[in-house]
Amino acid sequence: MSQQLVQLIVSGLAVGSVYALVGLAFIMVNEATGVVNFATGQMVAIGCFLSVTTGIQMGLPLAAAYPAALAGMALFGIVFYAVVFRPLQDRPVVTVIIGTVMIGIVIQNSALITWGSVPFRPRSPFGRQVVDVFGAAISAHALFVIAVSFLMIGLLYAFIYRTAIGARMRAVAQDRDAARLMGIGVDRMFVLTWVIAGLLTGTAGILVGPMWFADVNMGDPIALKAFAAIIIGGFSSVPGAIVGGVLVGLAEMLGAAYISSAYKDGLVFLVMILFLLVRPQGIFGERIGQRA
Amino acid sequence: MKPGRNHLAVAAAALAFLLALVLPALVSGYGIRILNLALISAIAVIGLNFAFGYAGLITLAQAGFVGCGAYLTAILSTAVGLSPWLSIPAAVVGTGLISVVVGLPMLRLKGHYLALATLGFNVSFVIVATNWKSVMGGTDGISGIPSLALPGLSVATDHRYYYVLWLALAAAAWIAWRIRYSHIGLAMIAVRDDEIATGAASVGVTRIKVQAFALSAIYAGLAGALFAHMTNFVAPEDFALGHSIIYLAMLIIGGEGSILGAIAGAVIVTFMPELMRDLGQAYMIVFGGLMLLILIFLPKGLLSLAGMVGRRLGIAGR
Repeated sequence: MSQQLVQLIVSGLAVGSVYALVGLAFIMVNEATGVVNFATGQMVAIGCFLSVTTGIQMGLPLAAAYPAALAGMALFGIVFYAVVFRPLQDRPVVTVIIGTVMIGIVIQNSALITWGSVPFRPRSPFGRQVVDVFGAAISAHALFVIAVSFLMIGLLYAFIYRTAIGARMRAVAQDRDAARLMGIGVDRMFVLTWVIAGLLTGTAGILVGPMWFADVNMGDPIALKAFAAIIIGGFSSVPGAIVGGVLVGLAEMLGAAYISSAYKDGLVFLVMILFLLVRPQGIFGERIGQRA
Repeated sequence: MKPGRNHLAVAAAALAFLLALVLPALVSGYGIRILNLALISAIAVIGLNFAFGYAGLITLAQAGFVGCGAYLTAILSTAVGLSPWLSIPAAVVGTGLISVVVGLPMLRLKGHYLALATLGFNVSFVIVATNWKSVMGGTDGISGIPSLALPGLSVATDHRYYYVLWLALAAAAWIAWRIRYSHIGLAMIAVRDDEIATGAASVGVTRIKVQAFALSAIYAGLAGALFAHMTNFVAPEDFALGHSIIYLAMLIIGGEGSILGAIAGAVIVTFMPELMRDLGQAYMIVFGGLMLLILIFLPKGLLSLAGMVGRRLGIAGR
């Protein structure tokens, strides 16, 4: 393999695993609470900027800055639950879509006032270090992103499928009323879901900062790719989000290098629309009741 | 609501239109430009009302179709050299055709899948317009678009163009009103209320959805074409996804499923930044928060508030 190809594949995997995290945050919320959260991208931006505040503005070492930013995002998830989810719960899907879009606008412009329009360049724990992979020079941060993303996804899996609380969350996702009758605190599970969404988007934001810039407008482009990823993978499928995210990341990087850098995003959306038309349930999806 | 049932509302609308006729005499140069933009948005939002308000299709592509109309008339009246009087209808028809080609496959999707697919269309439109430099001009856009002119009378000033837009809006609203109470309009509403039952009553559900989507796009195309000949310049960012969201917000704020609501929403949202200019950067925060409050507390839009007040006063009739 040529060096360039290895570099592209690794950076595609890194970007793709960030999309997978964001896609998972979207799926977790949608599955458990039935809310289609169009402010997911803005949550990523807030996560990124919290790490700017703790890591750059407060000057904490990254080992403390990252957990502090994540704790902030967990809190953000709780606030989002109380202020946005509660009032919009059980409204028609259109109201929820527009409502979360509007919240996204509020979040994005609050970030603009708080952090200003000049982008920050968060540092990576590995600085500009480079690692040799198959004879190609690979940024250590890209490998860090891939490792942390898959660690997060592994933890999420273990939590959902190996703990009692995870089983309760799955019960709520399957049938809210039956779960409530079984004595499960449904509202508590909703809060937990939003905390997990905050942690997933926060991690994505922290990881993506050193790769690109921390820009208050970064949310929408990332969310759009994450949407594409989960449509390609399958809207309600966890493995689907991972595979979809990686595919979108690879398509973006390889498409930019070998087809057209101007049309790389167009390529991603073309693939997404093709999937919607030909295989709307995605690669892994099964439930097609409400799709077509 | 059957036609003629709410005489007072119709009379109020007629009065508002008459008032609108004398408005330019009272408004300064900058104000009239904003007013013109409000009228153009109103046409696009009346269109959106077919797809979203009547047929219940969540579409985030309206700005993309406004862009199709604007770019088509821009290309036809500059590179091809057609008169605007020919290029505008051509752009409207062209936008309608594009919407049918896009809509036929996409309208098999529902709910947020349709929202995401139409969102993909709008984003793709901007990507193509930004990168297809030879035809669509890239980020520089297309300039030198001719203004409308009658023999011996140019309508290049914003004050004169206002009347062109006013006529277009009045015609658009009247046609929309006629369609609403025709069998097409009723079928759209039936599809929204119960798609399965409508299909079972042997109404072609897909055909109705495509019709609603195409009507929506035709209105958007007209709005875009009128916009292009007012500003004499088009660029991709005027048709970005954010504008699709604003059109949808206009319709919801005014009151979905209502032509008057569509117009009211377009005017209110267009003037909102002007009214809240003192807020500076915080404007968008207040705007988003306000929209959310309206969604939560007035899900049928501001027009329903007027209706409620009217009923309380006993003047709106039944």
